[in-house]
Amino acid sequence: MISISPKALAPGSDTSIEKKLDLSNLTPEQIALDINKLNLFYGKKQALNDITMSIPKGQVTAFIGPSGCGKSTLLRSINRMNDLVDNCHISGEINLHGNNIYDKHVDVAELRRKVGMVFQRPNPFPKTIYENVVYGLRIMGENNRRRLDEAAEQSLRSAALWNEVKDRLHESALGLSGGQQQRLVIARAIAIQPEVLLLDEPTSALDPISTLTIEELINDLKKQFTVVIVTHNMQQAARVSDQTAFMYMGDLIEYSDTNTLFTTPLKKKTEDYITGRYG
Amino acid sequence: MASLISSNRSRGIKNSLAKWLITLGGISVLFTLVLIFLYLLYVVKPIFDSAQIEPKVSLDLTTNEKVLSTGVDELQEVAYEITEAGNIDFYHLKASVPEADNPFAVGDNALSMSLFASDDFNQEQVVNVINSFSANKLLHTSKGKTLLIQPSFYAKYANDTREIIPQVNYPLGQGSLIIDEQQTPLSQLAFAIDDERIVFVAVTEDKRLIKTSFIAEDDFSSSSDGDDVEYETIFQQIELVDDVIDEIKVTPDLSLAFIRSASTVYVYSLNDDEEVSLKATITPTLDNNNTYLTSMALLSGSSSVLLGDSSGRVSQWFEVSTGSGRQFKQIRTFNANDDEASYDSTGQTSSAITAIYTEQYRKSFYTMTNTGMANVFYTTSSAHLWQGKLATAQPEAFAIAPRANGLIIIGNDALDASKKSLQAFSVHNEHPEVTWQALWQEVWYEGYPEPDYIWQSTSGSDDFEGKFSLVPISFGTIKAALYAMLFAVPIALTAAIYTAYFMTPGMRKKVKPTIEMMEALPTVILGFLAGLWLAPLMEEYLPAIFLLFIFLPLSTLITAFAWHNLPNHWKDKLPETLAPLLLIPVMILAIYAAFSLSGVLELVFFNGDMRQFLTNDLGINFDQRNALVVGIAMGFAVIPTIFSMAEDAIFSVPGHLTSGSLALGATQWQTLIKVVLLTASPGIFSAVMMGLGRAVGETMIVLMATGNTPILDWSIFQGMRTLAANIAVEMPESEVGSSHYRILFLAAFVLFIFTFIFNTAAEFVRQRLREKYSSM
Repeated sequence: MISISPKALAPGSDTSIEKKLDLSNLTPEQIALDINKLNLFYGKKQALNDITMSIPKGQVTAFIGPSGCGKSTLLRSINRMNDLVDNCHISGEINLHGNNIYDKHVDVAELRRKVGMVFQRPNPFPKTIYENVVYGLRIMGENNRRRLDEAAEQSLRSAALWNEVKDRLHESALGLSGGQQQRLVIARAIAIQPEVLLLDEPTSALDPISTLTIEELINDLKKQFTVVIVTHNMQQAARVSDQTAFMYMGDLIEYSDTNTLFTTPLKKKTEDYITGRYG
Repeated sequence: MASLISSNRSRGIKNSLAKWLITLGGISVLFTLVLIFLYLLYVVKPIFDSAQIEPKVSLDLTTNEKVLSTGVDELQEVAYEITEAGNIDFYHLKASVPEADNPFAVGDNALSMSLFASDDFNQEQVVNVINSFSANKLLHTSKGKTLLIQPSFYAKYANDTREIIPQVNYPLGQGSLIIDEQQTPLSQLAFAIDDERIVFVAVTEDKRLIKTSFIAEDDFSSSSDGDDVEYETIFQQIELVDDVIDEIKVTPDLSLAFIRSASTVYVYSLNDDEEVSLKATITPTLDNNNTYLTSMALLSGSSSVLLGDSSGRVSQWFEVSTGSGRQFKQIRTFNANDDEASYDSTGQTSSAITAIYTEQYRKSFYTMTNTGMANVFYTTSSAHLWQGKLATAQPEAFAIAPRANGLIIIGNDALDASKKSLQAFSVHNEHPEVTWQALWQEVWYEGYPEPDYIWQSTSGSDDFEGKFSLVPISFGTIKAALYAMLFAVPIALTAAIYTAYFMTPGMRKKVKPTIEMMEALPTVILGFLAGLWLAPLMEEYLPAIFLLFIFLPLSTLITAFAWHNLPNHWKDKLPETLAPLLLIPVMILAIYAAFSLSGVLELVFFNGDMRQFLTNDLGINFDQRNALVVGIAMGFAVIPTIFSMAEDAIFSVPGHLTSGSLALGATQWQTLIKVVLLTASPGIFSAVMMGLGRAVGETMIVLMATGNTPILDWSIFQGMRTLAANIAVEMPESEVGSSHYRILFLAAFVLFIFTFIFNTAAEFVRQRLREKYSSM
């Protein structure tokens, strides 16, 4: 039996100044993403059922749930990474600034610049550290050396990696440790100044120390970006997120501020999950 | 417990058995490779050996008379000497087997006789014996009489043993020949003989230069004793340019006479029976005023003359066509001076050439110097093969065995000057024409206007000299491979990229094995089609082929663009998997259009025939079987190799890298260029190098589709000959152990080195790329 006290677990949290948001009644200015009746099918199999939720700006939202519940699928729908999967059909809408990202005229590449993503396994390109960080800028056509240098330094500082790599920016990124690689990938994602940063189980392949570093980083990142994180790890969700959504079998079961969800869950399924009855 | 032990035991046996078998297999593979390598080297090595001369037999001669000539039979079992008294003595150089009927020992006399059998000769001395490139020798006596003899040998078999029996033939009878109409004694005499004609060029004691021709009624070789040979004699007088004539030589083809007067050589043309004309004058540039010509010799093959001088240099001259007609040119010089002795410009300490002896069939020659040094050279390869002292410093008579594998030298004994000895040497000098320089550098062959890289191993003529430059065939290998790669790499790589990165998995499953199956197509079929179908077709529709290189990519792009912009409800009618099939009719249409336009283009731009236009108007040589045909045919053969490996490399680029790039807002195309190809680069590089390796080693296609012309020319309309095809073409016709045979093995070795270098370089670069770009 695990009992969780988010306050005690969240390191360096400054929750005292935060005020709770009413998630069902956000003003448009507070909303980063508005998901509306999203259904997703892999072939005939339905993976997401009628998901409707609003993700607030400048906060960390966590998706939790047992394996196969659809939390990663939901995350990947937000920057249309599911487009790459064959036989994937989507209905409903996800609105970014009031524009449906599934609209015919949306440029997917442009969308992904606004909604960055970090994957489960660190995936630096087989290039130098520097080239990894500026990759997104380069493909946008930025070739000004000074601007690239500035962006690289700034992103690496934001990703808390600068001090570790500043002397070997032009060495291969593959020489970094797993935790450093993951922070490099985060630096790469934020170098293009996205509005939303999607983190798909960013620490599941990392050791506890690296996990801690990343978690601290996430806390810093929400000052600049809206962060959506998928995690297996309930303690992590409790530590880093402001809102938590619990998903089960493709349904959004419960979505509320993290404190409430972990201390007084409204739904039986949520309670069973967070108390470790299944998952 | 018991069962546990037994099962362990059988497993252990299997385990160790497998271990041994695998070890054995691995070692035998390596062993076989090493063996092939060593065998190639073993066959090739003798061509780079230098010459060796070893004393074999030494006989003390009983005679005290001056010896004028010597010789030996082909097997070097019986040697002879001709003395000034007109006697010929044959000696055994090899003892008989003990059980022979008439046993003999080394040095036993085989036959001794006087050559003056006819009453024409009376109490006279032979003053000169003139050798020719044939076995015939001309004796000239103190009383101005002349006799043509031919020492010859035949083999007799008794009790299963072979005995060489010597005899003397008189091709023109035993009587004296009338060479000078006025029958004055001759001070200089030279001759040459063929089946129908004998030509003598002589200087009489009363200083007339004459040419006399005997023209056979039938031919000179029909009778062995020559008593009944009938011939017509033509006497001609030649205008004497110089009073003192030192030496005369007549080429074995009876066309030229070289007449040396001090340091000038006059060349006369002998072809005309009416008038003998001065054709050229050779005045070698000598080192200084103290240097002068000392001797002259003709090289086998009637083309070159060798001039030796008092500074120990020998120069080779032959006729070369220049802008102002054919001229004798100094081609190269050889230095017979001691390697150690420093060469003095005054010519004082250097050694003068006293005699030059040339081999009968090859372009080798021996020189003797006044310091007693003997040297062996080979002209064409400019090789100095041997230097050393032979038995006597100044031989009275010197003969090279007919097969050039031995020497007979007669002279005063080195220890006891009063005694005369005959020394037989064995000569190991099988491949004098091959040197590293001759194989890889320009060589000036007789009759060529300038030094060149030539591969021409055989010819119809007997005195043909093999020309073995590996440059044109190595070049051909690289040219064929490069044109094939030019065709194959773009197609194979774009196909690999499309299949691995853009194609739907269902389609990929069908397409990939289909292209890979092309690899199983026997190359002989490709070569056959290329040589017999594609080459004539391309010759006829040449503009169409070039149009295709434009039409096919263009039509594909236009179709793709059109498809991309097609309204969705149209696109939906055709499943995406089948969409690429739309290209098939488009391509057929493009091909049809190219071929139909071919004739029109030829009419409009190329005066009706592009091939004629290339040759006549642009001066571009056109072979029907050219690099274009080979490029396409061999390109087809290497496409599957490159495609298959490159496709695997691209397909195995991890998906998380692709997603990573796409998630950063890169388009598919940007992701492909900046991440996928970069990550797959080691594999793609290997694929290209494997293709190159295959193209270099490919034999059948180049053999059948190139025309096998060993020329050095990058032109796409010219053929080439590759190392592999050259070996395949010439190995059956080369004599085992000959220079040609060994050079073909060397060509194989070079091919081996080529592929070895390509593969090693490829592996090296691949490892480096992999270190740099390997994904996790």
